[in-house]
Order: sequence, then C-alpha cells, then structure tokens
Amino acid sequence: MSDLLRQLASALQASSLHDATIYLLTNIPGFPPIVQTIHIAAIAAVMGSIVVVSLRVLGLAFPRQQVGEMVRRLMPWTWWALPVLLISGLVFVLARPRRYFVNPVFGIKFALLVPAIACALLLQRLATRESAPPVMIRAIAGLSLLLWLGVAMAGRWIAYTDYLFPPE
Amino acid sequence: MTLAPFWERVAMSPFSTHIGETWWFPLLESLHVIAATFLVGSILMVDLRLLGAAARSYAVTVLSRDVIPWTWTAFVVALVTGTGMFVSRADHYVVNRAFQIKLALLILAGINMLVLHRVGWRDIARWDTNNPTPTAARTAGAASLVIWLGVLLTGRWIGHLL
Repeated sequence: MSDLLRQLASALQASSLHDATIYLLTNIPGFPPIVQTIHIAAIAAVMGSIVVVSLRVLGLAFPRQQVGEMVRRLMPWTWWALPVLLISGLVFVLARPRRYFVNPVFGIKFALLVPAIACALLLQRLATRESAPPVMIRAIAGLSLLLWLGVAMAGRWIAYTDYLFPPE
Repeated sequence: MTLAPFWERVAMSPFSTHIGETWWFPLLESLHVIAATFLVGSILMVDLRLLGAAARSYAVTVLSRDVIPWTWTAFVVALVTGTGMFVSRADHYVVNRAFQIKLALLILAGINMLVLHRVGWRDIARWDTNNPTPTAARTAGAASLVIWLGVLLTGRWIGHLL
C-alpha cells in the first residue's frame, strides 16, 4: 500500500463518516445486505443500459432498435446508476477503508472503471455521429463491454482476495 | 426435516466438496452475480414498459421479443451456477431462511409471468402500443419489479446467514 493510500485510509478511519457507517451497518437490521442489493440493482441498470448499448453497437443484441434512439433512451440509466453505485459502495469503504485500500483487486476495479466511464461517454458522443468511422465505434463498444464486465467481476473478487491481503 | 440426510449426502459428494473447497465456488458465484444483473436488467426493461415508465415508443411485444432471449440465457446461467453453489453446502442452504424466501419469490415470479402471458397477453393486440397500459398489465409489471428486487435482496442475504 502506498503512503498516500495509507494516509487516506487512516484519515477515513479517523473521520466521523467512518463512525457513522459502522453505526448504520451494525445497528440497522439487514443494513449490509440491503445496501449490497442496492449496489447490485444499480449494476443491473448498468447492464441494461451501457452494456446493452455496447452489445447493440457490436450487432449482438436488439437488431430492431436504432442505436441513436437507444443511446438517448438508455444512457440516462447509466448516469443515474453511477452515483447510486458510488454512495452504496462508499458505505462499505468508509466502514473498513484499510480492507479496500490494501486489496489490489479494489485498485484493479477502479483502474477498469475509469476507462469504462470514458468509453461510455465516447459511445454516447460518437454512436449517432455520421462522421465517426464504424470500426472505431465498434472497437469502443467492445472495450466498453469487456471493461464493465471486468468492473463487476473485480467488485465481486474483492471479497475472495480478502484473506490474501489482510488489512493492517 | 426428514430429507436432511439426503441433503447431507448431496453436500458430501466429491463433486460438491470440490466446488466448495476450490476456486470453483468464487467462479460460479461471480458468474451467478453477472447473470443475475443481466436477468434483472432485462426483466426491468419489460416491467418498466408495462408500467409506462420507459421505452414508451416501443410496442410491448416488440420490446419483450428483443429482451426474452437475454432473459432466458441469463436465467439458465444463473440456474446452473446457482445449483453448483447450492450443492456445495446443500444441507446448510435448505435451512437458510433467506434461501427459502428466495425460492418462494422465484416461484411467485414464475406464476406472475404465467398469469401475465396466459391472461394479460390474450388481448394484447388492443393495448400493445398503448400508454398507459391496462391495469392488469401495470399490476403484473409492478409485481414483477418488486418480486425480482426481492430475489436480489434475499439472494444477497443468504451469505449473511451462513
């Protein structure tokens, strides 16, 4: 763990947000699975929006629907899902910052998330533009598909690699 | 429970213990979660159309025909991976309250879908492109939405009770 991450983890650990999330997670019955379910439902929204748009651009799904119309109709779901994912994920990160910051899979998840969001923005811009070369749009869609699946996979694997990278 | 010895035998089989003791379990579980998000994501599309909250410019039949192959594929993947996870600790899962409620909700979801297709779909030609859809269709959409979110919740809850 780099010094910067260590300091950030310590700062979070000492903050009142840490105390607040620990309080909520331990005192509200069912709070952990409820927040995790909100997180998973928001992933379902990501799968049903940006991932479906990527599949459509690649010619793998919904051939009868128009790409431009799909982008306008579905992409807002991605942009609404992201803050929900951020807040529901943050509950767990704030409660145990060291657990996440020492785990390299957590780092991998965000290393995949940043380009995934960039691909989503690019697809939204270019998918309806006549001037954009189709090969490029398809390449972005393929990358987008792999990145979003990778983000979801990495998220799940943080827990499995937990014992390999114990906090402290 | 009289079936307890049977579920213990299932959990003790070489196949089950192999899943439980190797990287198979995390692999199955991560595929299960991905499949679940595809499954629920695709079902939500149709539910929200039935509720008149999304894809209003699409006929209900057009949208559901586009979505159904994805729903069924995701369902089969979730079923296969879920069964693999189940046998690894079958004796524990059968008495797990969250698991029991999840199965009940899945049956409810199936019944809701059957009723919608058998009864609600009968006069679909009359309301296929309508907004709002008839009360029966809206009710089925709302019920499906709630049931599937319940499946996600109880599914996620299973691990907290093991």
